[in-house]
Parts: sequence; structure tokens; C-alpha cells
Amino acid sequence: MPLDYVVTYRAENHYDTLVNRAVWQFLIIPEDNDSQELVSVDFENSLGVPVQHSVNGLGFTTLQLHPNVPFSDVRFRATFKVMKQEVNPFDFIPLEDPSGGYRQIESLELKAQFEPFLRVTPYTRLPDDRQELYIFDREISVFDNLLALNQWVYRHLFFQSGITHIDTTLKEVIESRQGVCQDFTHLFCGLARRNQIPVRYVSGYLHQGNGYFGDSQMHAWAEAYVPGVGWIGFDPTNDILAGSNHIKVAHGKDYGDCSPLKGVIFAPGNNRTSHSVEVTAQQAQQ
Amino acid sequence: MLARVANNLYWMGRYIERSEHVARFMHVNYFSSLDAPNEHSQKRQFVLRSMRFMVGDPVSDPNEVLDEEQLLYNLGMNPDIPYSIISNVQWARENANSARDLISTELYEAINKFYHFVLNYDVDLFVKRGLYDFCVNITEMTTILRGKIRGTLLHDEVYAIIMMGMNLERATQIIRIIYTKYNDVLLARGVTGTEDAGQSFEWVTLLKCAESYDMMRRFYKKAPNTSSTLEFLILNPDCPRSVINSLNQITKHINVLDQSKNPKKDSTAFLVEKVRADLKFKYVEEIHEDIRNFIETKLNDLVNIAQKMEKEYFNY
Amino acid sequence: MITTNNQIFASYQKDPTLFDEVFDAQGEVREVYEKLFELYGNHTISNYVQLNNKAKASFFNQGITFQVYGEHETKEKIFPFDLFPRIIGPAEWDHIEKGAIQRSRALNLFLWDIYHEKKIIKDGIVPLELLSSSANYLHQMFDLDPPGGIYNHISGTDIIKHADGQYYVLEDNIRCPSGVSYVVCNRTALKRALFGVFNHCQAHTVTNYAENLLEILESVKPQGVDIPNVVVITPGMYNSAYYEHSYLAKAMGVELVEGRDLFVENDFVYMKTIKGPERVDVIYRRVDDLFIDPLEFRPDSALGVPGLFAAYRKGNVCLANAPGTGVADDKAVYTYMPEIIKYYLDESPILKNVHTYHCNRPEELRYVLEHITELVVKPVDESGGYGISIGNRLSKAEIAAVKEQIKKEPRKYIAQPIMSLSVHPTYIDESESFEQRHVDLRTFTLLGKDKEFVLKGGLSRVALKKGNLVVNSSQGGGSKDTWVLKNDQGPC
Repeated sequence: MPLDYVVTYRAENHYDTLVNRAVWQFLIIPEDNDSQELVSVDFENSLGVPVQHSVNGLGFTTLQLHPNVPFSDVRFRATFKVMKQEVNPFDFIPLEDPSGGYRQIESLELKAQFEPFLRVTPYTRLPDDRQELYIFDREISVFDNLLALNQWVYRHLFFQSGITHIDTTLKEVIESRQGVCQDFTHLFCGLARRNQIPVRYVSGYLHQGNGYFGDSQMHAWAEAYVPGVGWIGFDPTNDILAGSNHIKVAHGKDYGDCSPLKGVIFAPGNNRTSHSVEVTAQQAQQ
Repeated sequence: MLARVANNLYWMGRYIERSEHVARFMHVNYFSSLDAPNEHSQKRQFVLRSMRFMVGDPVSDPNEVLDEEQLLYNLGMNPDIPYSIISNVQWARENANSARDLISTELYEAINKFYHFVLNYDVDLFVKRGLYDFCVNITEMTTILRGKIRGTLLHDEVYAIIMMGMNLERATQIIRIIYTKYNDVLLARGVTGTEDAGQSFEWVTLLKCAESYDMMRRFYKKAPNTSSTLEFLILNPDCPRSVINSLNQITKHINVLDQSKNPKKDSTAFLVEKVRADLKFKYVEEIHEDIRNFIETKLNDLVNIAQKMEKEYFNY
Repeated sequence: MITTNNQIFASYQKDPTLFDEVFDAQGEVREVYEKLFELYGNHTISNYVQLNNKAKASFFNQGITFQVYGEHETKEKIFPFDLFPRIIGPAEWDHIEKGAIQRSRALNLFLWDIYHEKKIIKDGIVPLELLSSSANYLHQMFDLDPPGGIYNHISGTDIIKHADGQYYVLEDNIRCPSGVSYVVCNRTALKRALFGVFNHCQAHTVTNYAENLLEILESVKPQGVDIPNVVVITPGMYNSAYYEHSYLAKAMGVELVEGRDLFVENDFVYMKTIKGPERVDVIYRRVDDLFIDPLEFRPDSALGVPGLFAAYRKGNVCLANAPGTGVADDKAVYTYMPEIIKYYLDESPILKNVHTYHCNRPEELRYVLEHITELVVKPVDESGGYGISIGNRLSKAEIAAVKEQIKKEPRKYIAQPIMSLSVHPTYIDESESFEQRHVDLRTFTLLGKDKEFVLKGGLSRVALKKGNLVVNSSQGGGSKDTWVLKNDQGPC
């Protein structure tokens, strides 16, 4: 039975000097896809500037704001209504022979097709001495390996807000064994790609009603390409597969492709930003 | 035309014009003082102070003794002094550089030659013996530039913008020069106590600083006094250096940019007309009554026009 | 028969191991130069010095200079220019022109393919690592169709003539190749100084570049636009190529803009004019792709326009060259050019590549190890001349060390024969005489929708230091006017 979600995204920016010109781009709108339908978008900002819809370089819808009045504080609030289908992530027929999956993974065809999602990026680079941190077992299927990796990452790291930030490298994360959903996801991506599996970093919203880890911010998980099946979502922060509680916004190679708010400010000085996210659910009225 | 580039062209015009006025003021004042009829006007310190007053950097301490070579260097060739001729020329070229695709090759080459002339002038020669040569070259080169602007650019918006800058600057500089010489007359009178030939001498210098002495003689056919000088330099529309003439030019060029029949009341075109009308119907007696007030009001008007232009056309 | 009663060449020394553009192996003047040689012979050295100074002054006054920053003052210098032109006969030029177009077309097809189906990769012709390791292989360009299907509208091909008298391509520049303004300036300066010689020589004009460029740019206008508004975008007047940017804008009669002059509203690009916003349709960008849009690429870029890429993606504006073109402007891709030409055009390359040995192929590795003293060994993933070993300049111990390195990681290395650039008589200030100096040639090719153009001429760059093979202006190189003769009738 489908679920109705109401997602509220809030952000507040403060600038030390008066800003005359700025451009903001939000990557926060839930994607329309097979398992979710975007019902409505409502966007408000304290400057009363009209919002423009655009599409970013990887094809995801963005919201853009070009204020033309001077300001030093601004608040944004977006509300989305999303209808999510009940998802059973295990609902597929696995390949009978695990080695078939590896043959596909190693084919030039597949490597060329999914090349960006095999790249080692600054966020997903494993330290030189940790290249062998997690090696897949070729006796079991790609999917089973990914499930095991999901659990391994979940057990290896401890969820802790405020330790890491957007510039934290995997080296630091692996050493401190602490982090938030971005760090769990980057580690998962780094290790899966090390084993030649194409993986996408996904940003979105998590309905936390069921006691899942998250921190009232945008959530992150990964989608891995499973031969013969397609892209499957893995949430290493919670050791689950992405399902009915995961509302996807965008994917990319890593966080850099998915950051929810980008701003270009034509003024000197520092700024502070705070975000918060709230997801509420109710069973859809049929 | 791009707003940023328009702004640069406008300033190019202003800097070219400004360098000419500073150069002419320096050498005319300096050399006419050498054989001035009264002793006070002959005093070198008096002349040097007058130059500092003109560039907007008056000497406040009456006992300060100015070093001639240092002062000439600062006004002419010191790149660290913003009002120096060399700074003006540098900025003129810098602004021309950023609009290089819009101005003619001929104009750019002339500005470039101008710049290299100033840059390569021997500083020592300039402060000791070269004042006349340097300043006359500056004024002649600016005349060439004016010719290139008129003769090698399409008389379109680009031209109008440059001419707006030049004429606004010219009006400003003429008023400043009037103010400076008026001030000199007061100081000279303070010493001699009478309104005499010495005063007339300062008016002659003023007219020469504005390259208008010959025209004035032809028009009035007698030696200048306060009234006729002010009338000629401010109100005579046929004198190409007069303030009203500059305002007429500004009006003509703003009408290229703003072709609306009845300009809106917050537009530059409206303000220009308003300032011009105010001056057009002034008597010289009114000006004479309170020269200082008149000068301050007019300078303020010109600043307001410049600010309006900036908002209306140079917004980027 | 030309003899050496020619004053200005009286002391000219010819090194027989080098290919001289003017004199053949027997020391006789080549046919295409005969007339010019005779005309120049009428000058004395002092005449020539005078003319040379005039030409220099012409550059200086036009402000075609670069800045040298000293301790106390900034000096302006002109790019050294040599009055003795380089001449290319019609047949030889035809060969160069066809070759340059062939490469441009092949590179364009290559770019389309690697941003779409990636057939050349899947067919195993070009290794995937070549692309994935490049910062210029832009994920954002995947499956995006650039207007008119063109990526490399503007390319510059660096060509040399080897000791064997054959032309070889050294590099394909398809990011923001510069130098075309100098071609035009060199011609202007030469005409001013020596107008007489043009009465005797039928050289093709070079001033038609800008009109062709504009036509190419207009050919890739966005859909639904009648007369496109074209602009050139520059990083600004302190950029070393600013003169060229302003020259091109002026010669095309279009606006020269900076990032701050543009803005994007609802995925359309506008420039800020004195009369308010004006829509922009085609942008010839002289700003590197990673700097064009801080929302999509480098967020710290102050040179770009926020939202520009989204407008491009939507087809509301065309960027030339297309973003992501730089991936093909790469040493490693260069080595696959013969294969790339064959794959897409089913032709053999008209202009030769410098032969490249890939050390990851066993039989080529063997050849490299055996002939190392005749080869230049380069690491595939380094740029800017790092890690290059020139075989004939190495000591025995160094050779052994290089061999060990290659054997250890063969796939990291390629090797090429040591190329010798041809030489051209060049006037040298210090000795007040003509001497042999190495030259190369940069040609300029334009590719548009159903249109292609090669500028008949080019930038002949001269290494002014004796024996030096580096012709770049940053390394003290100069340049010569380059004449392409109109027909075979009568040498020049």
C-alpha cells in the first residue's frame, strides 16, 4: 500500500556583510521514479524572490534563486509531498551462477557504460595502505558480497554527528571509525568500486519513524549495480536495503555531485548555514 | 553595449580630459607667474599652493614651505598620487584596454603612445627643466585623442558615452579652475588690498588655463574683469570651454542614449536638462553675488549627474 | 640561379644535418623562396635592422605586448618577430590543410562517441583508463548533444618538419588554442615594413579568419534563434591572451564579455548592457571549462557564470569549444590518433603522427629497450615536460636506470623517436646576421555545422636560442609571418 510523505527542508543562511547579489541552487526535490511520485512542491524564502526550476549537469531538477535586493540573513523552506510505493528490495531473481555476475562486471562493455561510477574520487579514495580493506569473496554472488559489505561498513563505523564534516577524507573516517551517513556511504562506495562494482552516491530523505540512524539532515545511501538486476540501494548507515522509507533526490559519483545547497555570493566575508529536514508519513488514503 | 564597458569608456573620457586640465593649469600658472605684475603673484610658493588647490589637495598650513621639485613630481609624474597626470593617463589606458574591442585601432594606438610618452619621460628632466615641454605635449596629445575619438569612432552610443565623460569632466575642471583662480584673486587682494591690474592678471591666467583668452579678447575686445571672465567661461554657449557649452554637449549625447521624448523624472536625461536650464537662464550678476555658493552648487549638480548615469547605465 | 652576392646572407652558416626551409641540401635556394631571396638581397644589414625596428615599434604602439614584472617597475615587451617570412607552396599547403581537417573531424567524432555510446572503448581500440584518468572527461557531458553536433569548433594543430622533410603533428590543441591574432599582426607588421615584396608574391590573406570564425559560431546557434547574438568571453584584461580575445571580438564585431557581464535567468543567458539585459546565444569561451560555471564545476571560480551549464544543457546557448573537449587534448590520446582516424573515417592519417611505442605491448617494449638511445621516453600520465628522458643525452648509468623503470611499470611509459625540427634563417639581434633557428607551425582549423575552414597561413614559431627546440613564447620563442602561396606559377 503506498505511503504519503510530507518532507520539509529548512535552511537558514547568515552573512557577515551585506550581500548585494547571490545565486543559490538547491538540489532537494525528490526524484520522480518507479517507486516514488512527486505530488507537490512548495518553496518559500524570506526575501520573497521567485524560484526558478532548472536541471543540473547530471540531469536532476534543481531550484534556483537569484535575489536582487541586499540582505544579510535569509531563510528557505521547501515542502514536498511524495507518494512512495511499498518496496521490497529483495524482489528479484538472482543469477544462478555467481561467476556470471563477475564476468559481466569485468566486461569492457559494462566498465565503459558505468565509467563515472567506478571512478576514484576525492571523497571515495581509499588510503594507499587500506586498499585491501575489504575484498569480495568470488564464491558468492555480487549481491551477497554487497550485502555483506553493507553490514561490514555498518559495524565498522559508529554513527556520530559533529565529528566529521564535508571535507573529511576516508582516511580519517577509517581511522576514527566515526561519522555520519555521508561517511558510511563514501566508505561503501570506495570499497565497492575497489571491487569493480559500479556504485552511485545517493542523497535523499529518510523517514526515521522506525528508529533508523539519521540526524534530521538529508540522508545518504548508495546504489550499486548488480549484474542481471540493475541498481539496488544499500543503506550502510542502517544496514538495510533502501526501501519504502528512502525518498531519493539525486545521485552522483559522491557528495560533491549531490550537495543540497550551492551558493555563489558576490560579497566578501564569511557565512553560516544551518539545515534541517523533517519527514512525516501517513498511509495513503485509498 | 555592455554596462561595464560603458563605464570604462566613460572614465577613459574623464581621465583623458582631466590629465589635460591638470597639465595646462600647471604650466600656464607657473610660467605666467614668472613675470606677474605684482610681487605676490610672482611668489613661487603662491603658485605652488594654487596648483595644490586646483587638484583638490589644498595646503592648510600657511607656514608650510613647499618643495618645488617634489610638488611638480607629485602632480606630474608620481604614480602613487591619484591626481597626478601619470595616474590619470594610466587609468585612461587601463580603461581603454578593457574596451579595446569597441574603440578603433587608431584611437587605441594613440592612447598607447600617449601612455608610453608619459611613462618614459625623464623624471629628473621634468622637475628641473621639462615642465613646459611635458605639459605642452600632454595637452597636444589629448587634442590628438579628441580628434581620434571624433574621427575614428562611429558616432553611436560608444561615442556618446565617451563624450559624456569628457564633457562632465571638462565642466568640472573648468569650475575647479575658476574656483582656484577666484581664490588666488582673494589672496592677492588680501595682500594688495585693492582690485587692480593684479587681479586682472589672475583672470588672464584663468582664461589661459582654459585656453580661452584669445576667444575672450575677440568677444569683449577689452581686458577681462571678474564679471566678463565669469560670464564668458560659464555662460557663453559659443565658448567651447564654457560650462554651459559642456552641458549643451552632455545634453546632446544623453539624447543618443535616451531617446524618449519626455524623459522620466528619475532619469539622467531629465536631470541633465534640469541642470542645463538652470544655468542657461542665469545672469552673471547672480553668480557674482555668491561665487562660492554657485561653485559648490554646480559641482554638486555634476556629481549628481554622474551618479545618476552610474545607476541608469553602468549597473553591472 | 641564385648566387650569394646576397649581402644579408653572406655570413649564413648551414648545418648539413638539419633541414633548412630556405636552402636545399646542395645549398641552393628552394624554388618557393627564390623571388623573396632576391628581393631581400637588395637590402643591406643596416637597412634590415632599420626595418626590423620599425616593425617592432608597430607592435609596441599597437599594444601587442606582454608584461614583465620586475622588482620596481613593470615593463612591457613585444613578442619577438622576425621579418623574414616562412613560405609554404600550394601543394605542400594542400597536404597540411587536408590533414588538419581530417584530424579535426576525427577528434569531433571521437568526442561524440566517448560522450555517447563509447564504441571505440567497447571495441577495445582506445583504453578506458585514458579517459577515466582525465580530469577533463566531464561526467556532465554524457549523453548531451552539443548544438550542430560539434565539440571542437576551434582547434590548433602543432606541426613540425622533420629532418626527412616530412610534416609531423606534435600536438592537437582543442581547449583554447591561442595565437591566431599574432598571425594577423605579423602580417600587418610585415606589410607595413616591406610592402614592396607583396607586389611580387601572391600570398593568401589571413584576415579572413574572423569572418569564418563568426560564420562557424553562427552555424551552431540554438534552435529557434534567427540571428544569433555571439559573444567572446575572456578571463579579463590581465590574462596573457587578452589582446587576442579583444582582437577576435573586434574583428567579428561582437561583444567581449567577462563572467560578471553575464547572468542566467530561467536557463537563458543574458548580458548586462546599458539598455538592460540582452540575450546571448553563442559564446566563444576563452575561459577553461572547469571555470565556466561555479555551480557545476569549480565553485571557487570567479571567472564563470552561475547557471551557464544548465542553460547549455537545455540548448539555450552554445559554448565553443564544448565543455569536456579537453579530454581529447591529451598526450595519451594523441598517440592513438592514427587509430582514431581509421576507426571513424576509415582513412589513413594524412599528416603523420610521431610514431609512438607503447611499452605495455611486449614487442614494442623490446624495441624501446633495444633502441633507447634513439628515443624519447615519456610517462603517459605526466604533463608539462615532467619525467621525460631524451635517449641521446643520457649517461650509461642513467640509461640503465630508465630501462629498469620501464621494465618495472611498462604501461606507464611511451617512447617516440627523437624529432628534429626544421630550421629557418632568422635575424638574430646579437650577431646582426641571419642564423639557422628551429621552427614549428601552428595551424588554425574551424569546424562548424556543415562547414570547415583552415586558415591559409599560421603561426611559425621560432626558438630564438641557438640549438633550442622549444618554440613556446613563454620560453623566449619568437614568430614569423607565414605565407601560403596562391599558385605554383612563379616562385616567390
